[in-house]
Amino acid sequence: MNHSEELLRRLPNDIGGLPAEAIRRTDHPLEPWEKRCHALADVLDFHKIINTEEKRRGVEALGAEMVGALTYYERWIATFAVILFQKRILAPDELAKRMDEVAARHSKVLP
Amino acid sequence: MSTHPHPHDHSHEVTHDHTPCADASEAPPGYYEVMEIAVRELLIEKQLIGPGEIRRQIEVLDSRSPALGAKVVARAWVDPDFRARLLTNGRKACEDFGISFYDDTELIVLENTETCHNLIVCTLCSCYPRPVLGLPPDWYKAKPYRARAVKEPRAVLAEFGTVIPADVEIRVSDSTAQVRFLVLPRRPAGTDGWSEEALAALVTRDAMIGVVTLDSQPLTESDGEA
Amino acid sequence: MHPSPSEPDPRPPFRPVTSVVLALGEAPAFRPGDPVRIGVRFPVGHYRVPRYIRGCDGVVESVITPMAVNNEIEGFGHNAGSKGHYYRVAIPLTALWPGYAGSPADNLRIEVFETWLERSST
Repeated sequence: MNHSEELLRRLPNDIGGLPAEAIRRTDHPLEPWEKRCHALADVLDFHKIINTEEKRRGVEALGAEMVGALTYYERWIATFAVILFQKRILAPDELAKRMDEVAARHSKVLP
Repeated sequence: MSTHPHPHDHSHEVTHDHTPCADASEAPPGYYEVMEIAVRELLIEKQLIGPGEIRRQIEVLDSRSPALGAKVVARAWVDPDFRARLLTNGRKACEDFGISFYDDTELIVLENTETCHNLIVCTLCSCYPRPVLGLPPDWYKAKPYRARAVKEPRAVLAEFGTVIPADVEIRVSDSTAQVRFLVLPRRPAGTDGWSEEALAALVTRDAMIGVVTLDSQPLTESDGEA
Repeated sequence: MHPSPSEPDPRPPFRPVTSVVLALGEAPAFRPGDPVRIGVRFPVGHYRVPRYIRGCDGVVESVITPMAVNNEIEGFGHNAGSKGHYYRVAIPLTALWPGYAGSPADNLRIEVFETWLERSST
C-alpha cells in the first residue's frame, strides 16, 4: 500500500500497537482556559451542537501533523471552530474579528 | 474562576464579563485561549449556550475526582450486595450511590481477582470514566500508553512498578464506544475490620485504571481505624 | 459478573410474555460465546474499529446495552438514526500480536459495532 493511501486508511489517532517510547508519567493541572474548553465540549454535546463523536471526527480531520503538534485542548478548540463553520453557526471572518477584539482587549489591560 | 459569585441575570448583555479568566495581573492569553474566549463569547451572544452553563459544568467537573471512585470501590469491598449490583450495571449502581452520569456513557466495572488483572486504555482517543474519576492524567492520553497497553501490557505494567504473575490472566479493555471502564482493585490484605473511609483512602486513581495493584501498598496499623 | 466467553450465561432469559414480535434489528445478531471475526475494511474519514483488531478472530463476551447509533455515522453529527448493538469481544493477545511474550491467557476486550462482526466457525 502506498503512502498516500495509507494516510487516508489510518486515522492519525489510530495508534494501538504502533512502536512507542517508554511511558513517562506526565500530568499537569489544567490551565483555566483548558478547563473551560473541556466544559465547553460537554455543553456543546449536551445541546447536540457538537456531539462527542463529531468532536472526535473533527480532531482526526485536523490531520496527522496538527494532531501531533497541537496540545490536547488546542486540538479541541480548533476542531470546534471548524465544525461551527461547517454548520454555519459561526462564520470564519466573524471568529477572526472576535479573536482580534479579544486579543486587543487583553493587551489594553496590560502595559 | 468558579469561586466568585457572578450574577448572570442580565442574560442579553453581552459576554465580556462572562469571561471567567484573566484578571489584569495575568499574562495575555495565548492564541488558542483567545480562540476559546472568542468562540464561547459568540455562542453565548447567539444564545446557543447559556451564559452560566460553562461555569456550572466546570463545577461539575471539579466535583469529580478519584476520591469519588475510591468511595465506590470501598463500598463494594464492604457491601456484597452493592458489589454485585456494581458488577451487573456499573452506571446504575453509581447513580444509586449518588454519582450522576452527566454524559451518555455506560460503565462496566471490572473486578480484579486472584486469577485476572484488568487494565483500561483508550487507543483511539482518551475515553475515561470521567463521571466517577474526573479527568484523566496526561500520560493516559499520550501515545506511549495508548500504543503499547494493548500490545505489551506486562511491559507497560512493569514501567509502573507492577508485576503480575505469569499465571494471572491480563485483560486489557480498549474503550471505543459508549462504554467506560472502572477497575475494582483487590482489597489489600490486613484490612479486615477497617472502616469504609479508611479503605477508600487506600484506593488510588492508578489502581482504578489498573496500572498498579494495592497489594503492594505499605500498610500500617495506624492506617486502620478502630 | 459478565460471563466469560467460554461460559455463556446459563440462566434462561426471564420472559413471561411470548407474543411480542421484535422490530428488525432489535434482537442481537450475536450471543455471548459466539465466535466472530472482525471485518477488514477501510472507512474514510471516521471509524472506531482500530486497525490492530481487523481480521482477527474473537469470541463475544456480552451484548452491550442499551443499543446505540453507529458511531461511524454519528461522527458526522446526525444526532439520530437507527440504533444497533455493540458487542464486547474477547481476542487473545497471542492472536493479535505474533510472538506475544506474555501469558497465552492474556487477552483484549473491546466494543465493536454489529456491522463489523462476521460469524466465524472456529
